[in-house]
Amino acid sequence: MAIEVSDRAREWLKNKGGVATVRLSPRHGCCGGGADIAVAEARAPEAPERYTRLDLDGVAVHIDPTLVDQGLRLDVEGFLGLRHLFVEGASPTRPKE
Amino acid sequence: MADDSLSQTPTTTEGMGLFERFLSVWVALAIIAGVLLGQFAPAVPETLSRFEYAQVSIPVAILIWAMIFPMMAQIDFSAVLGVRRQPKGLIITTSVNWLIKPFTMFAIAWFFLMVLFQPLIPEELASQYLAGAILLGAAPCTAMVFVWSYLTRGDAAYTLVQVALNDLIMLFAFAPIVVFLLGVSNIQVPWDTVALSVVLYIVIPLAAGYLTRRSLIARHGIEWYDNVFMKKVGPVTPIGLIITLVLLFAFQGDVIIANPLHIVLIAIPLIIQTFLIFFLAYGWAKAWKVPHNVAAPGAMIGASNFFELAVAAAIALFGLQSGAALATVVGVLVEVPLMLALVRIANRTRHHFPEAETQPAAEARD
Repeated sequence: MAIEVSDRAREWLKNKGGVATVRLSPRHGCCGGGADIAVAEARAPEAPERYTRLDLDGVAVHIDPTLVDQGLRLDVEGFLGLRHLFVEGASPTRPKE
Repeated sequence: MADDSLSQTPTTTEGMGLFERFLSVWVALAIIAGVLLGQFAPAVPETLSRFEYAQVSIPVAILIWAMIFPMMAQIDFSAVLGVRRQPKGLIITTSVNWLIKPFTMFAIAWFFLMVLFQPLIPEELASQYLAGAILLGAAPCTAMVFVWSYLTRGDAAYTLVQVALNDLIMLFAFAPIVVFLLGVSNIQVPWDTVALSVVLYIVIPLAAGYLTRRSLIARHGIEWYDNVFMKKVGPVTPIGLIITLVLLFAFQGDVIIANPLHIVLIAIPLIIQTFLIFFLAYGWAKAWKVPHNVAAPGAMIGASNFFELAVAAAIALFGLQSGAALATVVGVLVEVPLMLALVRIANRTRHHFPEAETQPAAEARD
């Protein structure tokens, strides 16, 4: 499976509009270094054409093509208004130069 | 099995840009440029040193903010909510970073600089170097660790949480640890000076970074913030670092010319401390059967330092011409070669650790 969505993440996402984005977020190091970290957000991407769209039991997941088939898992954490998505199983990747 | 794992791992420096790969070279060049500037154009640093307000050097403050702000502007504090994930890894790294590392740094630096090297370093200068080492030990790495995590195929989610947690703890723990250890070393620093340096070089950049992040994401969206804004702001850090070092060594020229051996003497305890902390965290992780993708970045986080903060605090507390500032720069000088050696060790010992339950596919890395 391209990405697994936990039951609680699916329920939570359905209440938020049923859309998620899994993308790479560049993080800069303290002396010029950097890596791309996989992050997940409960929203549609700004440029959907750059993502692979997967429909998983009522949830539309837009995932960065480089993250497809990595065996990732989408889950939700936090409490009350502080709940948010996270993606498990991804290693940092080399930033696009 | 070990070979399979290694074949999926990036080569030791793959993914590192030109700047950070050769950081030691740039630092060495900045030292040379600074010393030359101080010797042949002393009017430049003398003029810059006149721009002061409330005993804070304005040019230095601007350079330090330039170094630190980009890192603070990308901290995602919502990641702290994930502390329940990988609890063993978080316990190990947080304990090592805040309960062990500052004190082993103090003990090792004190033994080498104040006892073993006593015949080689004047006592007053040795205590300044010790102060620099203490500042390094109290400032754990918060950003370069993403690179080390990449090079050891670390768990991205764990690394994010640990970095956010460290930044949060640093806000409260850095000043008390520094004041305590400087006090133990009989190095007198007024509390208000320490508090001012924490406000100037942690609280203000952190607040500015947080507010910038919140407002720009609200206005332009997270993808624009990550891919456009941070791409422009990120390179400011290394530029600020190098200019700060040139300025610092414009004032340090006489010390370096008179005692070039001191750089080696300062480096020895720093190197020993780095290896000790790495093996402590890594060994603890192995004993607790922590997966390698958490054990490796966890140990790298403990071993490396947030040297921009250490340099900033040393300059703020002791001045540009201080031995403390010199000692923190030696930390920058040895950081990358040391960390790359630890990356090699971590990758070669991967097979001694259990694999993570969720493991990214190998082909995605090629």
